[in-house]
This record gives sequence, structure tokens and C-alpha cells, in this order.
Amino acid sequence: MAAEPLIKVENLVKHFVVRLGAFGERGATVHAVDDVNFDIFAGETLSLVGESGCGKSTTGFTLLNLQKATSGKVIFQGENIVSLDEKRMRPYRRELQIVFQDPYSTLNPRMTIGEVVGEPILFHKLATKAELPEKVTRLLADVGLPARFASRYPHELSGGQRQRVAIARALACQPKFIVCDEAISALDVSVQAQIINLLLDLQEKYGLTYLFIAHDLAVVRHISDRVGVMYLGRLAELATREQLFSNPLHPYTRALLSAVPEADPELEKTRQRQILVGDVPSPLAPPAGCRFHTRCPIAMDKCRAVVPEWREVVPGHHVACHAVEVGAAG
Amino acid sequence: MTMTPVNLSSTVADDEPPVSLWRDAWHRLLRNKLAVAGLAVVILLAFVAVFGPWLTPYDFLTQDLAARNQAPSLAHLFGTDDLGRDVFSRVVYGTRTAFVVAIVVTTIAVVIGVTLGAMAGYFGGLFDRIVMWFTDMTMSVPNLLLVVVINASLKTPLTAWMEARYQATLNPFYRETIWVDFLLVFGSMALISWPPYARLVRAQVLSIRGRPYVTAARALGLTNRLILIRYIVPNAIGPLIVSVSAGLGTAMVLESAFSFLGVGVNPPTPSWGNMISDGLRVWQHYPHLLAAPAAVLGLATVAFSFLGDGLNDALNPRGSK
Ligand SMILES: Nc1ncnc2c1ncn2[C@@H]1O[C@H](COP(=O)(O)OP(=O)(O)O)[C@@H](O)[C@H]1O
Ligand code: SF4
Ligand SMILES: [Mg+2]
Repeated sequence: MAAEPLIKVENLVKHFVVRLGAFGERGATVHAVDDVNFDIFAGETLSLVGESGCGKSTTGFTLLNLQKATSGKVIFQGENIVSLDEKRMRPYRRELQIVFQDPYSTLNPRMTIGEVVGEPILFHKLATKAELPEKVTRLLADVGLPARFASRYPHELSGGQRQRVAIARALACQPKFIVCDEAISALDVSVQAQIINLLLDLQEKYGLTYLFIAHDLAVVRHISDRVGVMYLGRLAELATREQLFSNPLHPYTRALLSAVPEADPELEKTRQRQILVGDVPSPLAPPAGCRFHTRCPIAMDKCRAVVPEWREVVPGHHVACHAVEVGAAG
Repeated sequence: MTMTPVNLSSTVADDEPPVSLWRDAWHRLLRNKLAVAGLAVVILLAFVAVFGPWLTPYDFLTQDLAARNQAPSLAHLFGTDDLGRDVFSRVVYGTRTAFVVAIVVTTIAVVIGVTLGAMAGYFGGLFDRIVMWFTDMTMSVPNLLLVVVINASLKTPLTAWMEARYQATLNPFYRETIWVDFLLVFGSMALISWPPYARLVRAQVLSIRGRPYVTAARALGLTNRLILIRYIVPNAIGPLIVSVSAGLGTAMVLESAFSFLGVGVNPPTPSWGNMISDGLRVWQHYPHLLAAPAAVLGLATVAFSFLGDGLNDALNPRGSK
């Protein structure tokens, strides 16, 4: 991974100011994403996993400048895109796309499938009006839908079919990069596999780069090049798939992995489940020091006071934990 | 590249025409018997409102003092009133008054409500707070009190002003004090009717603004204008239609209530409200004078409310599809 990254995320922070109390009299800050750093390389699938509410979606949204970053940078084609206003952002929008979790609210119910897929093509002037029907047909074919679907409305389609349309809409922009925000989580298990295979096929065909957000490590193991683990707004660990699954360094990653069933029955027999005790603390008042210390089985005094540094302990393997030594690849 | 085999054991058959949500809603509406009945009555009343004067055998003002307070008969379907005027003709003409008042008032209220509500929801911030403060204020003052105060304080001076203008110009326009009635009735009714529309539209815009399809549109790079026109407005309009349908019926009742209180459309212009209030004074002797306008007002309100309910079910089919 020596190549220049497609996207560099530097010290990205997103806080939401919310009003609490019956009359909204108290202000409070949701620490949704705090000081997150990672690179995304062209053509790879980088997965982001973590429990619900840990800031995965917010990372994706802020990275695409769909929500204003509180601070930090996202460098794409030499430009810090999170500092751009909507007008200057527009040319980059075409190249950076997103597919959402809920197939039922991802499509405008008042537009036909053809209009949904055709709209970005016309808007970004990627084809003329005359070429449009053929373009739409080709895109629908790309996502495995027949051309006749173009005249249909979203409510006439199943969840999996709608998700295919959402993918076709993203593809219509001819993007370089797509955030898949739990794009399969809401689908039936049988449909999930189809959509994953579709995403992999399209990645190969069009050289796409994915940020694949999921809460399911089993799925991630199948498709990722690299995996990042988030906990309460911070990245805990980021490594190649092999590194992460065979040599998890962060105690939180280990706990997550111990909950994933092994494919090999022999290994499955000896699998030790490590149950995390306690709840995830509130992002309104995240713990000082290491945010995982309230649940970490090996927490030390230092963990309660000092934020662990985000370090590359072996090439390609980043972790934020006081208990991990540099070179701890063992 | 190998295409993933897809099971399209289709939700969609080849030969069925595509159904837009609007058309779908229309079909659902037509399957609802009460709503269809409501729609039929509304259409009938609208027809009467437009063509009424050509349908009735008598003029609504013609007095036949020889035939006063007659009970319903073939010559006078709803009988005659204390001045010998044909009640049927007056009810028919009252339909026109009811529709004019309802349509004008609702249109003004919807234009104000939708504009302020949509802008408040979309821009938020200070503008939102100011608009919401106005809606809350307006809604917290009792409607009838507001209308009575407005009428009591403005009617006499406005009428006097019209009279003075007539004396000065001899322009017959100024002799029609009906314009003062209309201005006050329309104005005060619109004033109390717009806040619910503003609230509804604001809530709609706020909820639609956060839906994934709007975020997707933003991710596509579409302009705010396109997002408002193609995404937010078409999706916000369903509940508005429902509310407008119910609002038309409510406006008719309001107008009657105002006439009853003497702050509505004044005699001799027939309105169901002033007919009811006249009829109430003599109902023990001549029940038809009360029954006829009251029945028609009741019919109209029920029709609009059935239609509104039907539209609600048709446009928000929770659970089906
Ligand atoms: N618009 C918002 N306003 C306030 N808090 C928010 C908003 N969006 C997300 N959050 C909060 O930020 C945290 C991270 O949310 P999210 O990124 O959606 O998590 P994930 O996608 O990992 O489930 C959660 O605590 C969530 O409640
Ligand atoms: S820094 Fe301390 S508390 Fe945090 S994960 Fe490492 S050992 Fe546990
Ligand atoms: Mg999420």
C-alpha cells in the first residue's frame, strides 16, 4: 500500500450540539467522531465496524461533506473538501457517492426508477437527453435489473431491488468512491449475499473504491482489504484484513472477534467467547483517557487519564492502546 | 465479469402499467365508499354553487308577501320564509356563498401557511422561531373572540368610509357594503385559519429534509432549488391535500358560526349561517326555515370530512405496500 491514497482523513472531528431538558434549556455536545485518521487507497475496500452509535455513519457523512466537520481535514485530489461550500463542492460530489442502509427511504417515492437513475446523468451532463434511455438501461443492467423497471415506481420494488437502484444511481455519476453505509444490513440474508457480490463485481468492472460500513465482522471478513474498528467516536484499530483477524491488538477488537463464529468446526469448538461487561458510555460524556477503559479487561491507571496515541505499531497496523508495544506483531 | 444471478421473481409483472403514488392513491380513494360518497356530494354542491342561479325557479331576493312562511310544497321545495322568499333558492344561493367563502379563505390561508411553513422548516433558525411564535400566538387566542373583536372594531368605520366615498364619487362600487362584509369575513377567517397549515407544512419539510432520499440528492450535488421542487414539495403535498379538504368544510362551518354571531355575511346575501340564525328564532313555528339550511350545511361538512378521511387513507397507506 505504498501508493498515494485516494482520500486522506486527518484529525476528523464531528460534534453535534444538542439541546436537552424539557425546554431545551441545557446545551450538550455529542462527541460523535473524535480525532479520526485514516487513508483510503484507490481500488480498495476499507471497512469500518463498531457497535451502533459509535460514529460510523457520521464518519461517512462528514467525510463526504454532507455534514459539516467540526474540525479536521479530508483531502481528495489535493483539496480539503470538508472546507468547501456547496457550490465549490459540486464537482467533487459526482466522484464521491453514497449508498444508504434503508432501501425503503433511499429513493424519492415520487420519481420513477428511470428518473432516479437518469437525474444525476443529466444534472452532471454525462449524456444528452437522447442518449439517456440507453444509459439508464445499461446502468440497470449493471445492477442486474431489466430495462422495463425504468418506468416503475420505488414502492413497486422489493427491498433488494431498491438497493440495486440506489447503487445504479450512485454508479450513474461515474464515481471513484462510494460509501456503503450498512448498505446490506436491512436486507434479508439471502439478498445480502447477492448485493455484496454485486458490489464486488462493480468494483472490479469500474475500479471503484469503497468505504464499507458494517456492524457485522463476518461480512467484513469476506470482502475487505483493510478493516477499521471504531469505539465511541474514535478509531481503536486499523489493519489489513489478515492482520486484524489473525492478530487483533486492541482489547475491543479481540472482544468483537471472539463473538464471530469460526467457519472451521475444530476452531469453533475451542473459540473462547469474551463477553464485554457494562454498557457503551454516552457520547455526551465520553470517559476521559481511553474511551474503552470502563469496559476493558486489562485497563490500567494510565488508561483512565491519558488518551492512547494512534500509532502504527507494525507497518500497516494502527492501534490506539497503552497496552500494545511497538512491534507487537507477535 | 460474471453477473450475479438475480431472483426477480418479480414484484412487478410485465403487463401491468406502472403505478405512480398519485394514481395508486386515486384507486385507493375510489375503493373507499364513504370517500366516494363524500366526493359525489362535494361535486354536486360545487355544481350547484356554480350554476345555482340558473337552476332555481325563483330569485333569492324576490319577496312574495302573499306567500310567507309556507311549509315545503311542490311550488316551494323548502317552503318560503317570513318575507315570502323561496328557501330553496336561498339555500342554493347560499351554497355559492359557502363555496366562495371556503375557497377564498382556504386559498389565502394555504398560501400564507405553506409559504411561511416551508420557509420556516427549510431555513430554520431565527426565521423559524419568529414564524412559530406568530402561529402560537394566533392559535392561543380564541378564534371567535378574535373575529368578533376585528369585526366590532373595523366594521363601522369601514362602512362609514364606504358611504363617504359613495357620497363623494357616486361610484356604485362603494354602495355595496357587501365588500366590507367579505373583506372582514375573509380577512378574519384567513387570519385564524393559516397557522395549522404553516405548522403542518413546517413539520413535513422538517421530516422530509432529513430523509435519506434528500441526503442522496444532496450527495448527487443537486441544487437546493431542485431538491425543494423535486423532492420536498411533492412529498409534502399529500397531507396538505387532506388538510385542505377538511379545511374547506371547517371554513363553511366557521362562516355559519360567524353569521350566527352576526359577524358573518350579512343579509340579504343568503348564507347558510344567516339562514340558520334567522331560522332559529322561529323554529318552533316554522321548523323548515331552520332544517333546510342546517341539513345542507351538515351534508356539506360531512361530505368534506369523509372525503378528507378517504384522502388521508389513500395518501398515507401505512402498511399496505
Ligand atoms: N444529527 C445528529 N444530531 C445529534 N446527534 C447525532 C446526530 N447524528 C448522529 N448523532 C449521534 O452521534 C453518534 C454517532 O452516530 P452514528 O454516526 O449514526 O453511529 P453509527 O452509524 O455508528 O451507528 C450517536 O450517538 C448518535 O446519536
Ligand atoms: S488503552 Fe487501556 S483501557 Fe484502553 S484499550 Fe488499551 S488497555 Fe484497555
Ligand atoms: Mg449508522
